[in-house]
Amino acid sequence: MDTDTATLPLGLSGDAYRAHVRRWLAAAVPPGFLADRPEHRPPTLDQARAWEAAMHRAGLAGITWPAEYGGHGLTLREHLIANQEIGRLALPESVNSLGKELAGPIILAIGTEAQKHRYLRPLLEMREIWCQGFSEPEAGSDLAGLRTRAVRDGDVWRVSGQKVWTSASPYAQRCLLLARTGPLEDRHRGLALFAMRMDLPGVTVRGIRQIDGKEGFAEVFLDNVPIPHEDALGAPDEGWATAIRVLGIERATNRMYRAWRFENELAHLVRACRADAALRRLLEDGGYRRRLADTVVDIAVLKGLVEPAVATLLAGQPIGARGSLMKLHWSEAHQRFAALALEMLGQASPGAGAEVRAARARFNDLYMRARAETIYAGTSEIQLGIIADRILQLPRGE
Amino acid sequence: MTGAGEHADLAAFAATAAHAVRACAALAPPAQARLLAEAGLLGILAPEAAGGLGLDLHHAVPVIAAAAAGLLGFPLAETMLLAAALADHPAGPALAAGTMTATIAWAGMAARSGGRLHGPVGRAPAAAGCDAVLVRLAEGAALVRLDAPGVTLRDGLGIDVDAPEFDVVLDGAAPVAEIGAGACARLDADALVLRTAAIMGSAETCLAMAAEHTAARRQFGRRLVAFQALRHAMARQKLAVESLRGALARCLDLAPEDELEALPARQAAFAAAARLGPAAIESALQLHGGMGFTWDLPLHRHLRRVRSVEAQGDAPGIHAAIAAALLDTNA
Ligand SMILES: Cc1cc2nc3c(=O)[nH]c(=O)nc-3n(C[C@H](O)[C@H](O)[C@H](O)COP(=O)(O)OP(=O)(O)OC[C@H]3O[C@@H](n4cnc5c(N)ncnc54)[C@H](O)[C@@H]3O)c2cc1C
Repeated sequence: MDTDTATLPLGLSGDAYRAHVRRWLAAAVPPGFLADRPEHRPPTLDQARAWEAAMHRAGLAGITWPAEYGGHGLTLREHLIANQEIGRLALPESVNSLGKELAGPIILAIGTEAQKHRYLRPLLEMREIWCQGFSEPEAGSDLAGLRTRAVRDGDVWRVSGQKVWTSASPYAQRCLLLARTGPLEDRHRGLALFAMRMDLPGVTVRGIRQIDGKEGFAEVFLDNVPIPHEDALGAPDEGWATAIRVLGIERATNRMYRAWRFENELAHLVRACRADAALRRLLEDGGYRRRLADTVVDIAVLKGLVEPAVATLLAGQPIGARGSLMKLHWSEAHQRFAALALEMLGQASPGAGAEVRAARARFNDLYMRARAETIYAGTSEIQLGIIADRILQLPRGE
Repeated sequence: MTGAGEHADLAAFAATAAHAVRACAALAPPAQARLLAEAGLLGILAPEAAGGLGLDLHHAVPVIAAAAAGLLGFPLAETMLLAAALADHPAGPALAAGTMTATIAWAGMAARSGGRLHGPVGRAPAAAGCDAVLVRLAEGAALVRLDAPGVTLRDGLGIDVDAPEFDVVLDGAAPVAEIGAGACARLDADALVLRTAAIMGSAETCLAMAAEHTAARRQFGRRLVAFQALRHAMARQKLAVESLRGALARCLDLAPEDELEALPARQAAFAAAARLGPAAIESALQLHGGMGFTWDLPLHRHLRRVRSVEAQGDAPGIHAAIAAALLDTNA
């Protein structure tokens, strides 16, 4: 199969779709991309773009989107299948997940016909990478406290303010930007969404070094940026409702492969332990066996939160705030697992071979990066509040 | 028990250490060694005859806690322990005087054949800046020079960035000094206390940062510190810090010769530190939100450090020893 040009055969769904995805991935993935191989080399940005564009052509991105916008017109069931197969392999994270999993669904929901045509295909074809400009220095958990101002000026909106922690912004072409059109006191009212081009005059990106030493997120300074009116998404005061929907997606359907990637990581840990005498002994230790079993259980619980939610969505029912349950459970379970992997692999023999060393490098990094999982897309404290308020609907104290 | 005068004395040690640690930030390891020696910190545990101060762990604990709080990259605990353990060898006084630098490969054991040492050993913090490293043998331990033939350093794949860990690969290296099994056991027992102090120092610093951050930052029209969830999280961090402080005090009150009680108290202190320290720091990091995920804030460096100290001390092995002792006494 020529993996670069392979496209999704027409009419595939369900099991036939899964077989196609599995076959395609097996043939197309450059082995170096896989983080559970000793020869692992993370892709460069250009390689990632090319790879993800190929994934799209093969039917692994834009799965549920209409064909007229570059999508594949399948259902959330196939979306789940693709994610299961993607999760099973230690593939690199998408460099355009904010485009494919946040901006895309929002544009489909509230964009005009012209906007859908303008944004969706370039994003799937990886010609436009997106970032998400929500958080600000003074508006993190309290997103409604954001201060970036958008003022209508003829054909453009003039936008000034500052965003922070904006992932992918150093290389993104577009930003899903949340800004205020009304006064700050209005809080949830008077917020608008934009599909801002990152090369507009007045946009300055300054990278921030992350916990892993890399510059993954950045500060984005906006100085009187003229955003054309055609890049305003939805009505000027619909921003908050839409933003909440964005965050609901971020928690529920975003990175649906997580349970299966988690399984891949667990399997990698066990394989690495088998490859070293000192670590093999740990696999016989009751304490570690218990924690490994807990991880299996955590993954099963996660699937039990994700799969029925997909069924609910497929049936056309809303899942409300249930994404908070998945996000809270996954982030905490994944942190527990990352700590377990760090502790176990740290006991490798000093002379351990390449396989164990590669695993240590992967899980050292995972342990540090997993710190973010209880922070981004709403911190654990915020998820707990949402579950108490919106799912449990507990009465307030007064 | 320590009296009021001694308390002042200990506080002065901690202050000296904090000052020296800050001054070390801009220096390379050899200059750090001289500065720390000048401040009297390297020879705290070494006898006066070997150029030390002839003091005990009471004085070392506040110094190590202050060094951890300041993220000192120099292998201070290792140097203190080696200057004492090698007091009868020229290396001991040289270490106390800061004219020689050394660390310890805490993991693994070297093999000896025909007087030469072989095999990889691991988890030697800050080895790249050192002249020598102590490696464990089946009986006792040996000091080898890092510039000697048959000695190579390799990235130890640890996560600490301030005192990075190295593997030491020995291929027929000649030892320059040796310590016996008894001295080695003493060194290990003292290390349990110093590690607990280091973890406590880091946890306490991170808690102070969290308290400061949540008091200064406002969200939802209130200071973060007003939210009970965060107050409780910090209360738990405080419980961790005070638990370690108490465990340390208990260790220090027991004479090291008190074989029945001293070692179990030390093991319990370090096991508590290995469990409570990382959790406290992870929680302090969480309270910083996105800020906690940045490189520039030192929280992650503390987390990296305590995770490494936990592993250097073989926390799982200590847990196993504690369980074995329990079963033994209740046989
Ligand atoms: C790796 C990473 C990537 C990110 N990428 C993006 C991105 O691409 N785009 C974007 O817009 N944002 C992004 N963020 C920002 C993220 O959404 C925010 O960090 C998050 O919403 C928390 O906001 P904050 O950092 O201001 O923390 P704060 O809101 O200041 O929170 C600090 C602490 O206070 C707690 N807290 C706050 N309010 C309450 C309350 N009411 N009750 C109890 N506890 C509370 C929090 O849980 C946290 O522990 C990213 C963050 C990270 C770490």
